[in-house]
Amino acid sequence: MKPLDPRLLRRARAARHYVLLTATTGVLTAALVVAQALLLAHALAPVVTREADWPDVAGTVGWLAAVVVARTAVTAVQERYAHRAATRTVAELRAQVLTHAAALGPRWLAQGRTATVATLATRGLDDLEPYLVRYLPQLLLAATVTPAALAVVLGLDWIAAVTIALTVPLVPLFMALVGWLTQGYAQRRLATMQRLGDQVLDLLTGLPTLRALGREHGPAARVRALGDAHRRATMGTLRVAFLSGMVLELLTTLAVALVAVGVGFRLVYGHLDLTTALAVIVLAPEVYLPLRQVGAHFHASADGVAAAEQAFTILETPAPARGRLAAPDLRSATVRLEGVCVTAPDRDLLAPAGLDLALAPGTVTALAGPNGVGKSTAAAVLLGLLAPTAGRVRVAGLDLRELDPDSWWAQITWVPQRPVLTPGTVAELVDDGRQVHPHARDRASRLTGLDAVVARLGAGWGTTVGQGGYGLSLGERQRLALTRALLDPAPLVVLDEPTAHLDHEGETVVLRAVEHLRGQGRTVLLVAHRPTLLACADHVVEVRASALEGADAAPDGPPS
Amino acid sequence: MSRLRDLRTDPLVRAVLLLDVSWRRAAAAVLAGAGALGSAVALAAVSAWLIARASKMPPAMELSIAAVAVRTFGITRGLLRYLERLVSHDLALRGMTTLRTELYSRLAAGRTEALVGVRRGDLLTRVGGDVDRVGDAVVRGLLPAAVAAVVGAGSIVLLAAFLPAAAAWLALCLVVASVLAPWLATRAAARLEREQAQARAEIGALTLVLLDGAGELAVSGRAAAVHEALARAEADLARATDRAARPAAAATAAGPLSTGLAVLGALVLGIHATTVGTLTPVELAVVVLTPLAAFEAATLLPGAGVQLLRSRQAATRILELLDAAAGPDRHDRGPGPGDGGRARTAPRPAAAAALGAAPGPVPVPVLEARGLSCGWPGGPALLRGVDLHLEPGRSVVLVGPSGVGKTTLLLTLAGLLPPLAGQVLLDGQPLVDLPAGRRSASIAMTGEDAHVFDTTVLENLRVARGGVDETTARAALEQVGLGAWLARLPAGLGTVLGTDAAQVSGGERRRLLVARALLAPAPLLLLDEPTEHLDRQGATLLDDLVGLRAPLVRDRGLLVVTHRLAGVEAADEVLLLAPDGRISARGEHRAMLSREDSAAYRAAWQHERQEVR
Repeated sequence: MKPLDPRLLRRARAARHYVLLTATTGVLTAALVVAQALLLAHALAPVVTREADWPDVAGTVGWLAAVVVARTAVTAVQERYAHRAATRTVAELRAQVLTHAAALGPRWLAQGRTATVATLATRGLDDLEPYLVRYLPQLLLAATVTPAALAVVLGLDWIAAVTIALTVPLVPLFMALVGWLTQGYAQRRLATMQRLGDQVLDLLTGLPTLRALGREHGPAARVRALGDAHRRATMGTLRVAFLSGMVLELLTTLAVALVAVGVGFRLVYGHLDLTTALAVIVLAPEVYLPLRQVGAHFHASADGVAAAEQAFTILETPAPARGRLAAPDLRSATVRLEGVCVTAPDRDLLAPAGLDLALAPGTVTALAGPNGVGKSTAAAVLLGLLAPTAGRVRVAGLDLRELDPDSWWAQITWVPQRPVLTPGTVAELVDDGRQVHPHARDRASRLTGLDAVVARLGAGWGTTVGQGGYGLSLGERQRLALTRALLDPAPLVVLDEPTAHLDHEGETVVLRAVEHLRGQGRTVLLVAHRPTLLACADHVVEVRASALEGADAAPDGPPS
Repeated sequence: MSRLRDLRTDPLVRAVLLLDVSWRRAAAAVLAGAGALGSAVALAAVSAWLIARASKMPPAMELSIAAVAVRTFGITRGLLRYLERLVSHDLALRGMTTLRTELYSRLAAGRTEALVGVRRGDLLTRVGGDVDRVGDAVVRGLLPAAVAAVVGAGSIVLLAAFLPAAAAWLALCLVVASVLAPWLATRAAARLEREQAQARAEIGALTLVLLDGAGELAVSGRAAAVHEALARAEADLARATDRAARPAAAATAAGPLSTGLAVLGALVLGIHATTVGTLTPVELAVVVLTPLAAFEAATLLPGAGVQLLRSRQAATRILELLDAAAGPDRHDRGPGPGDGGRARTAPRPAAAAALGAAPGPVPVPVLEARGLSCGWPGGPALLRGVDLHLEPGRSVVLVGPSGVGKTTLLLTLAGLLPPLAGQVLLDGQPLVDLPAGRRSASIAMTGEDAHVFDTTVLENLRVARGGVDETTARAALEQVGLGAWLARLPAGLGTVLGTDAAQVSGGERRRLLVARALLAPAPLLLLDEPTEHLDRQGATLLDDLVGLRAPLVRDRGLLVVTHRLAGVEAADEVLLLAPDGRISARGEHRAMLSREDSAAYRAAWQHERQEVR
């Protein structure tokens, strides 16, 4: 494990500033530690040998008091800014991980990664705080106080300095050795922790389901078993991780003891004077203290470093290249899917297989076909969220991959099967940052039936709705998304099973909405299977899936 | 006396008690910790004596015992510290597992709405971070405090043997470092920490929005707005952290300050005592140098205080969840809260019986609703005046527009929500008075948003009945039309379905849920929208179900909620719900088409027929 990963400094600005500050306080602390030891020895020794009394040492004690005050101030400044830097560093990394995870696309996230990335972005990265606030300053003190104190001891008593100098290199050596042993453990522990988190959360999310089937009691044993497995894995890590701490403490304390005994015997034979001896035994522990602290915070920092490494792994996974060309104007350009095939994850199936389709401006096209043939997948390909395994999407002759996604998405509005609820009031969610006249909003919501939903809500349009849709059912969320789509002037509208959670009355809502969109001259792609909806389309395209071996051309489905 | 009661209702105390920590292990941890830090103090004191005595040039023999003692303390410090850390972490991890299991068990036995009311991101925080923080209260809060108390008292006694005035001064400095500083830091941080927890929960929730809705947010261009909301929450977090950092800095700086003051004070008092002759010069060295080592334990305490504060907030959130779950739904929580039993993990006898293939000699169950009104507790009634009769061999279909409260009705009939008015009776007894085991042995429900677990197809089916073998599982999937789907899966029944089955299409997911419901051992089945997302074959499946023809539904009682009429012809009774939540027509399908009082039903039926044509 690298004690200070250069990638952290490269990616987080807050971390760079912080390292500079910490290095400065480290140098100051080194000077003050040495001054404190020398002043204490000079104040104490002459009194012990009865060569001096209070008036002779009063001045020295005064200086000692000044040093104590200065050390207090430096400690306060370091601590004051450490927390701020840690919070900002974590925030910078979190935003980068989330942005990049989104750029990697829905398929990358869907492969069980959502919960993993969520755990990493919240708890995992928060582990960087102890690393930055505790571990890093001690690391820098080890680079300042330790050599400074050792140099002073050398000036005072070379035998003690040699004793210390012989043991100090053992400290990083043992640390490296034990750290090398711990590395795999720490990474495995993070993996175990995430698996435990995923599984326990999965059980809790499914608890209403388990209760409805009367099966909620069995999994308690599983929760306990997962917890026990976690404890055993963790204790295995800790036994080794704490070993490094123990070796450090053993080495350093024993070395201090040996120095004290050695100095004592040299005093007896008159090789040393008491002032020097006192300065040496006060300084000796200070040489080791930062190293000891590094060891003490080693385990907490290992989690943070492992999390940072995971974050860097995600950040270094190359995202699909973004095109640079501005998308053609969809009010006049035709979008074509040409022989689009997508391999279904973990299945030997192409869904869709060889899909051809043309969306001429102002037409309504429906994608039909039984469940699982890849209708929604085809929509994702068209949206540019998913790269097809074979085939391409062309817009006025240009390949979609060449187009700048933002200019493409700006012309599309999409109602997915399960729209997410971002935080905000109903009005804010429907308006979506546009200036929408309340009349237009009312008209659109009457068309989609959202007006009835809003009437039921406590504060009407001003009601705040939360994450995950609590307070709004899936059907209500679809109505909301449909209303938003009607108000969005984008020329291409993609509706993915817009009636999935609506009753037959809701279905007429969708029919009305489609007619409304057609009236505005917009292009509509509709994923549907109900006959009434298919009947309202200008073209119906049958989507097909095929087994992977026979994945040759499956022609365009005949219009039904 | 009231103090004691306050202590018992303190959330942290309650949560720590739920960790069920073994006192023996705790005492061992404190003893080892005190031994380790005590070694450091003893090392400082004995070396000071050794050096000061040596400067008087006595015979070397006189120093040999002290030399051995110094080396011994050099070794015991590291060893005991290692022991302490292992014992205390093991202790906390055991406790955290106990608490997580407890959390699961109580939520499992408690009220449904407590669980449904929590956002998924919040739940992640509470089961994950919050439980960890309660564990940290022991390792980083309570145990260090106990160790510091023991070591502090020992150091004061040691100094008092030489110079009582210096001991008193040391005691004063120790109080500043280990009582005043943590107290101040904790008090000042309290309000700010609360703000930070809020910001953290917000960040957790927004993180999930950004990941769950990554595609949608990108296309709609709303990702930037959510990132802005995240940045605002991060800024709140940074501000809260910044404000909390000030007292934290003061408390940390109190460490070197009080150590320095203790040494200065000992120096001044000691020199005076040496001058007047009440302290020997050798003892002076001990009195001055011992305080240098005595503060190590105390410097950990501001951190410990803040840890206890954070842990208390985490404990409050956990207990809120537990208390919400432990509502007036008082019946049969199994060996649940209140009895302090530990056998929660064992399946209860009633549930165990329910896991077998046959419902056993349970009398043929009859479920009845009389004048039932239902809705979320504390909310308005969504459905009113529902009368219903369900028994094996009978199928009932409830048709109504979306949002009218059909799901709420099913939850109420399954005994998972209390009725707002009227009664739900199982075999003539109110359902709410029956033990949960009896309830689930007779009734199984599958909701519209039922969860597909992050495990294999087979294990997902076994959620309904533990003993399902592969043949039965295959047959069930065949019956709901998933035979071809199963054949395409790479590992068949052993294929792992992704998180919340994102890799399964809407229709496949729905059929899988129906297959699972059919495998449940209970004779009465309540199904919510079983054929949604399905194409025309949905009508065939519904017909198979309500006609009680499919082998797994034969001789069972079936209540199906749907908003489509296709496939309901074979039902013994069809109930049509009006948008105002009342039943507008009911009866046998054929009769309703001709009857005068069921015009609404006829209109709906004709509408759907036209569509098919």
